Amino acid sequence: MSATAAKREIKTLEKGKKETTEETISIKNLDVYYGDNHAIKDVSLDISPYKITAFIGPSGCGKSTILRAINRMNDEISNCRMEGDIHWRGHKLLSDEVDPVILREKIGMVFQKPNPFPKSIYDNIAYGPKIHGVKDKDELDDIVEKSLKDAALWDEVKDRLEKNALDLSGGQQQRLCIARALAIEPEVILLDEPCSALDPIATSKIEDLLEELKEDYTVVIVTHNMQQAARISDYTAYMYLGELIEFGETEQIFENPQKENTEKYITGRFG
Amino acid sequence: MVSLKSSSQKDDENPFQKGRNIKEKLIRSVLFIFASLAVIVSALIIFTLLEGSFNFFLGPEGSMLEFFFGTNWMPSGGDPSFGVLPLLMATLVVGGGATLIATPIGLAASIYLAEFAGDKVRNIVKPLIEMLAGIPSIALAYFALFTISPLFRVHFGASYFNMASAMIVISIMVIPIIVSISDDAITAVSSELEDGSLALGTTRWETTKNVIVPSASSGIIGSVLLGLARAVGETMVATLVAGSVANLTFSPLEEGQTMTAYMAQVAKGDIPPGAAIQAAFAVGLLLFIITYLIRLGGELITEHFTGGKEKKSHPFVRRAKERLERGWWRVKSILSTERDKVAALKNRYRKQKMGKVITFLCMIGPLLFLSYFIFNILRKGLPGMSITFLTSYPSRFPDKAGIFPVIMGSIYLISLTMVIAVPIGVGAAIYLKEFAPDKFYSRFLRRIIHNLAGVPSIVFGFIGYIILVEMFSVGGNLLSGSIILAFMALPIIEVSTEEALESVPDSFRDAARGLGATKWETVKNNVLPNALPGIMTGSILSLSRALGETAPILFITTMFAKNPPGGIFDQFMAMPTMIFYWTTHMKEEFQVLAATTIIVLLAILLTMNGIAIYIRYRTQKRRRW
Repeated sequence: MSATAAKREIKTLEKGKKETTEETISIKNLDVYYGDNHAIKDVSLDISPYKITAFIGPSGCGKSTILRAINRMNDEISNCRMEGDIHWRGHKLLSDEVDPVILREKIGMVFQKPNPFPKSIYDNIAYGPKIHGVKDKDELDDIVEKSLKDAALWDEVKDRLEKNALDLSGGQQQRLCIARALAIEPEVILLDEPCSALDPIATSKIEDLLEELKEDYTVVIVTHNMQQAARISDYTAYMYLGELIEFGETEQIFENPQKENTEKYITGRFG
Repeated sequence: MVSLKSSSQKDDENPFQKGRNIKEKLIRSVLFIFASLAVIVSALIIFTLLEGSFNFFLGPEGSMLEFFFGTNWMPSGGDPSFGVLPLLMATLVVGGGATLIATPIGLAASIYLAEFAGDKVRNIVKPLIEMLAGIPSIALAYFALFTISPLFRVHFGASYFNMASAMIVISIMVIPIIVSISDDAITAVSSELEDGSLALGTTRWETTKNVIVPSASSGIIGSVLLGLARAVGETMVATLVAGSVANLTFSPLEEGQTMTAYMAQVAKGDIPPGAAIQAAFAVGLLLFIITYLIRLGGELITEHFTGGKEKKSHPFVRRAKERLERGWWRVKSILSTERDKVAALKNRYRKQKMGKVITFLCMIGPLLFLSYFIFNILRKGLPGMSITFLTSYPSRFPDKAGIFPVIMGSIYLISLTMVIAVPIGVGAAIYLKEFAPDKFYSRFLRRIIHNLAGVPSIVFGFIGYIILVEMFSVGGNLLSGSIILAFMALPIIEVSTEEALESVPDSFRDAARGLGATKWETVKNNVLPNALPGIMTGSILSLSRALGETAPILFITTMFAKNPPGGIFDQFMAMPTMIFYWTTHMKEEFQVLAATTIIVLLAILLTMNGIAIYIRYRTQKRRRW
């Protein structure tokens, strides 16, 4: 991919107007294979901008795989193959004209397990902006402060920015990872079970944070926790064995599911 | 109730049961003794070194003050002087220089292997680099003396013996150590960190440079220190190429004698008896301490400093650093030609490409060296290869000389080494893995065994000679040589056996114990058969390494052994020492014979390694758990 990058024209995915339909991430007939394993089967749905969309479903249903398709993290898995497409801002995200490095700058991601770099808190946040060409130290200081504030972590760490990030608690580490993702000013944030390794208090802090974030970001979250999806999301997609079973407004999915499979899962009869 | 109780009591006194218990205890004790032998050997080595050093320092010619601060090393002659600094300096130049060369190359190669190479490339390159590590140092010394050294003489005006060529060739020995440990450290960095960085829109190169390598830094530093210990302890290249004149100089183009080279000089018998030989104890002790400390440092860093620790710096330093950083950034932003995102990204990809090319070259470099080495040895030695050469006896006339007794000497030597080392090594591993509780003593035992692996080979040879030949009068024969090599091979056999035992799932043990088998019965019937391939692979690899060793048996072998050894108390000659003598021979015809002997030695080693790799491959394919 890098060899051709220098030659081909790279689209920069500039931001459109907030209201335009182009801001919708529309997944069209997506198939993902890991080797012989057909992980995502012909999934189509539209992810609305400036809303929280939750993916729920039992383990191995492919919800994380969809997330990793949107920002092309699947490119990093050597035997992974993707078919179909994802449209955003008039670009086909899975095509060659979109460079994954630029794409990931616009679509940030937070992972299941908090994964701060073994660096100071400051350097964790500054890492992305530095690489993306912020060359002024004052500007960087501002970015670090703003990101940490946005992630509701600033008050807890402002006096120890030089401390190693690994010394933070699990919940703080996860908020640091969110701050790290915010620091490069993405427009979409993907969260892959961000609370599964956290206690209830840390979880509620992150949920509050997500509510605030949807003002400025399109948020996509994968979660194991149905209550969480019901609490925070605007739209919910239920997946089962790589297929999208049902997708709609969260209220409708939880209160009036159309499919039997969805109902069984939501009422806790399996999964 | 009563009858039940009595019957269970009877069970305890069941003669059959009792027999089993006694047998169990007996085996346990034997295994314990095997595991503890390393402690005795280590204690003997340290005691002998200390005693010899004391004798030297307290003797009429030795003085601690002179030893540590004197700048002159002149062991023979009317007024000998024993200032170790020149030896220390040469050791630093050769060993440190070699490590300085090897570190960037080895690190870059491991980065390419771990981050950019596909599985196909990895599966080819890793074994080749392991092969590089398996070339006997005497063969590389030959190559250094007759191929590398002339380059320095012609192009840089170096003296006939020079430290620069030793440095280059020893760096080739250090690179595989750095590559294999750094590669492990880099691949061990969690993929979550890698994902975390890539998801921020960084290129793979940026992720590697900024996140992965720093996260693996403790392992990388550990690998460099282990490599340094290896370089400092290297004997044959230092002896043959760097020279045997102690010389207090920094210049690698000049001749210099390392500490190991001095000990080898003693082994060759070029040193007059008396204080000069006693001085070798002090040099050996110093060498032992230096390599031990380097290895210890490496292990401590690898074990205790995983991940980046916070750096505490003085506020003043921090502010100064920050100011510098701001300045540097301003300069960068002025110099920057990146006008927009796309141009910047292209530039970032260009850097990635450059990084890939450079690390690729660093990976290929050592392999090119390997192929040139093999080509060169074949070209020099192959014309001399013939059935006569393999079947006739050494002679004063090069065209009649053969290596039949030498080959037989090596074969007998390695067979006897196997007979001694394999039971002890495997027994020690069984004791430590299956029987020993994880208490202080067993951890101590394991540590001692691992430390044995770090003793420089020339120290092994020297102390082995002193203990076996001078103290216990075993004599300079096959038995002494085998005992020395056995204790050198022991650590690798022990470690690989423990790994093999580890790979047998606990459920196998539980199943047998659940059926009433004793611990030993379980190990014998259920664990060992499944661990056997791993044990064989490790044993063959360690024995093949022992077969190529020169320095440890330099004191033992003798040119007077004209016939193949007939018994374990016979004198003998082995291939590596034969190569050594022929390489240092005045007549060029004999030097050619050395190349031919190297080919024979390499062929045998390659066969042994091939067998080991085949066994490993076959069991990996057949393994069902």
